[in-house]
Amino acid sequence: MVLLSRKGCNSHGLGALYEYEAAQGKHVSLETTGSDPTERERLADCVEQIAAARSRAAFAEVFEYFAPRLKSYLIRLGSDASSAEEIMQEVMLNVWRKAEQYDRRQASVSTWIFRIARNRRIDSLRRTNKPELDAEDPMLQPAEIEQPDITVNRAQLEVKVRDVIETLPDEQLVLLKAAFYEGLSHSEIAKTYGLPLGTVKSRIRLAFTRLRGSLERDQ
Amino acid sequence: MLDDNLDPTISRNVSIESEESVTPMGKASINDFGEVYSNYAAGCLDPAFCLLVETQAALRPDVERALARAETIAGVFLENEAEAELTAGAVDKAFALIDAYEAGEQSTLKAVKHAGEGLDELLDLPEPLRETALQSFQSQKWQSLTQGIRRLKLETGSVAEVELYRIEPGCTVPKHSHSGSEFTLVVAGGFSDESGSFGPGDMCLKGPKDTHQPTGDMDGVCFALAVREGGLRFTGMMGVVQRLVGQ
Repeated sequence: MVLLSRKGCNSHGLGALYEYEAAQGKHVSLETTGSDPTERERLADCVEQIAAARSRAAFAEVFEYFAPRLKSYLIRLGSDASSAEEIMQEVMLNVWRKAEQYDRRQASVSTWIFRIARNRRIDSLRRTNKPELDAEDPMLQPAEIEQPDITVNRAQLEVKVRDVIETLPDEQLVLLKAAFYEGLSHSEIAKTYGLPLGTVKSRIRLAFTRLRGSLERDQ
Repeated sequence: MLDDNLDPTISRNVSIESEESVTPMGKASINDFGEVYSNYAAGCLDPAFCLLVETQAALRPDVERALARAETIAGVFLENEAEAELTAGAVDKAFALIDAYEAGEQSTLKAVKHAGEGLDELLDLPEPLRETALQSFQSQKWQSLTQGIRRLKLETGSVAEVELYRIEPGCTVPKHSHSGSEFTLVVAGGFSDESGSFGPGDMCLKGPKDTHQPTGDMDGVCFALAVREGGLRFTGMMGVVQRLVGQ
């Protein structure tokens, strides 16, 4: 995976990367390289210190963790190394600027920073999709009547997603990664992985059934 | 419902699947694994649609949960990302950028102070619509369409036209059709047209052939966010005026 992300910066784009990845039979299993709960707490403390005291030491710590990962992410999406670093710098400046808006009850630092990186990416790469919707789509359905005091507990939801995501089989993980992290459409995923579109959709659906969990009522 | 033999070469542009998903409760739910949400999380949804989805999430817990789940997935993958090597002195450059930013901040604050009147109503809008509206309000003004109907053009960076409508109770937007599709999300209050009544969080979709004439409901000022491909064609009296002035 490490090497593969570097491969993504060639002119063949993501398609070639996936063919390579598929040919190598690579797995996407989430190794323990991700942050552990203590590390996540520490990073959240750091962002709060940036907000409260403009702490440069805290910023340096956040930078050390996220800057190399952000750079990899941007290269994965097709940036060359130097523009990846430039965009990464802008994202990190936004981390400094927006630190007051961070709320640890709402999201982990990685989710929050990913959101900033994503918005920066919309501005710079402009590989944007326009959904085709029809009147039957759920987005266009009227709101269910919900009791006004029901608020979404995002922290709880995030814990749930984190717990379940580690238990998902690779065949589902790889598709979640392609869709939610790399931004491929279902038909692009089908093409890259040589899977029928229906299989792509049903695997993502299966993953979601588990991520949603039984604790949470959706409507 | 799912067909594994679907030809993978059939190119389907981004679309939310029409199949209904079923929760363990056996009830149809919002299709939160649909492409709109993954495209949104991954940052490749058109900015106008991002604004729509985010504003809807501010009004609807089911949509908010869908976004939260999608973003968490992306965040977990970022944590597991490989660490690329940075150029020497990258962190020093970061601090230099911070210094430059801190120096420039004072002048920006002054500009915001001078933004002028008429901001009050915009301040009540849910984020992120509020921020977009406030930003656009610095360069655009409310444009009066007809009695009780005003609109503010929003700058999102999308090729789609994005506008915030302010509809006073009982007032009617001139009859119009569109050259492309129009999505209208009710943000506050409500409006009714030939196809029904729409309240906060509801989205009204009109195709190129649909003509409608929305009227503000009587329970307060209605704010609606409209995203439209192509222009708006007024078909009633406004249309004549529009053609005359060559818009």
